[in-house]
Amino acid sequence: MARPAALHTPDRTGGWSQLEDTESPDGRVRSPWAHETATILRHARGGPDWYTLTLSAGALATAALPGQFVQVDVRGDGAVARTADPLLRRPLSLCTIDAAGGRISLIYRVVGRGTALLARARPGDRLSLLGPLGRSFPEPSRRPDQPLLLVGGGLGIPPLAGAAAWARRAGRQPVALLGARRAADLAGVTEVRAAGGAVVTATEDGSAGRRGLVTDILSARLSADMEVWACGPNPMLAAVADLCRRAGAECWLCVERPMACGFGVCIGCAISRAAGDGYLKACVDGPVFAAAEVNVLA
Amino acid sequence: MRAQDDAGATVATGVAAGLDPAVSVAGIRCAHPVWTASGCCNYGRELAALFPLRELGAICVKGTSVEPWTGNPGPRVAETAAGLLNAIGLQNPGVDHLLSVELPWLTAEGATVVVNVVGRTIEEYVAVVERLGTAPTGAVAGIELNISCPNVREGGLQFGADARAAAEVTAAVRAATRLPLVVKLSPNVSDVAAFAAAVEAAGADAVSLINTLLGMAIDPTRRRPVLGNTTGGLSGPAVKPVALRMVWEVSRAVSIPVVGVGGIASGLDAAEFLLAGARAVQVGTAIFADPWSPLRIRDELLGWMREQGIRRVSEVVGAARPR
Repeated sequence: MARPAALHTPDRTGGWSQLEDTESPDGRVRSPWAHETATILRHARGGPDWYTLTLSAGALATAALPGQFVQVDVRGDGAVARTADPLLRRPLSLCTIDAAGGRISLIYRVVGRGTALLARARPGDRLSLLGPLGRSFPEPSRRPDQPLLLVGGGLGIPPLAGAAAWARRAGRQPVALLGARRAADLAGVTEVRAAGGAVVTATEDGSAGRRGLVTDILSARLSADMEVWACGPNPMLAAVADLCRRAGAECWLCVERPMACGFGVCIGCAISRAAGDGYLKACVDGPVFAAAEVNVLA
Repeated sequence: MRAQDDAGATVATGVAAGLDPAVSVAGIRCAHPVWTASGCCNYGRELAALFPLRELGAICVKGTSVEPWTGNPGPRVAETAAGLLNAIGLQNPGVDHLLSVELPWLTAEGATVVVNVVGRTIEEYVAVVERLGTAPTGAVAGIELNISCPNVREGGLQFGADARAAAEVTAAVRAATRLPLVVKLSPNVSDVAAFAAAVEAAGADAVSLINTLLGMAIDPTRRRPVLGNTTGGLSGPAVKPVALRMVWEVSRAVSIPVVGVGGIASGLDAAEFLLAGARAVQVGTAIFADPWSPLRIRDELLGWMREQGIRRVSEVVGAARPR
């Protein structure tokens, strides 16, 4: 009876215009965000527990940059009566961003009720999205000649597909080092390869690429003149940050935190500052941070 | 989106037909009864990018302390069945930041601002309220005293779970301000009406309820509490029946206005709270999935009023009859 009626979110402009720090001097971009109703073009299982979702979402595809994310209503497009459960949207990183084609892709792992519900969505279904949210990786053209290493682990690999494509358009020659526990968990490697550039894979069980950790490959290749963009589990990010600090290489981390709103009002996605007391918000201060800004393990 | 279009149309014609949704809550004058809840809209900047804040009945800004508070370690949020557990820990930049940065901006936006006030001691609550007294006239429409946050060790619930302490902090703040004073009550007590009566006697102009219900979640695989703070506060549709019952009880126990909060996600939810005795309502957790929800709920509520032939909010406040 008291069920909410249709979603009051026409596709209209949103944004950050009222935030105090809209500009980001280090090259990370915070795009204006809005609500968009996307249509599912393709929805395919990619591994034992992860799926690739390709969406027609013109405004998002135009506005989004790699490293940013969207908040997905796993219950559908909001034109049907909304139920109270699951209550929150699910924050998913953008994998590929095709501005010309008006398409984006998202890769997600089924970890609970919300993502299990999302996995039932079919091509032609519509999805309500908020985005693009958060700050991107730093604008790649600001360091045209610096070697760029992309380091990804498991479900942290997908954002590096968009990142590789962006870097290549800026004239960079990114090298991707991608790892997972086993071959079936290398989510998004196809998309990273499609972006072009060198790809090296590693698995802990040796079922694909080299046997071992992606950080082992990183430590063998890293030097002070390099820039590193990393996304993956927190222990991996901490190890990458540590290697870069010791090598004197510039390092950017794309983090994941439990999150409610995704646009800055709830302060739920706190991440510890590396220096001093207090927290930053993964949703609006990140999810991409300079490695020296945050303590990913705290 | 048709239902929405219809609701939007009814608002316009409703106003033309003499529907007057304005309410006054203890001197806080609002264009309509739908507010945003503290802790769910920060200081308004994120929502202001989506719609003008003056369209809200009022905005209850983030709980604000005398000095900046850093908040709790993560994880700070965990979704539960039709609900959300949080243990943010009242992270806020302090009252001086509010006065120098946020409040002038909110004033320029034309927002009706209710400042949620937190403290560890009675002296800290009083200090915040005294500082708010230095704001330009009209910049602060009212104060909401937060004695009910379950996620901080000191302050918060230590006042909200003891009726004498609740009355004591209310009286001290009352003596320090002439602004409308709303006291936000905790549901984590056995007799919420007794608390409402105690703060009314101590000088509160209104009460708002409920704050979150104490709860927890455990990760079975890791065999550990999910939240960094171990326990947290439950909000969202899951708590609505509890909140509604408490609003019903409190509105029968006190003569000051009641503001209803807890799981409101639709205009009909809001109507239930008004019928139970609330003069205004606050929308909180619904904002996280649908940041436009406060305006949607306003439009749905006004559409319902028109359907029912109700011209003024006062006609429905407490109008639900006992069975």
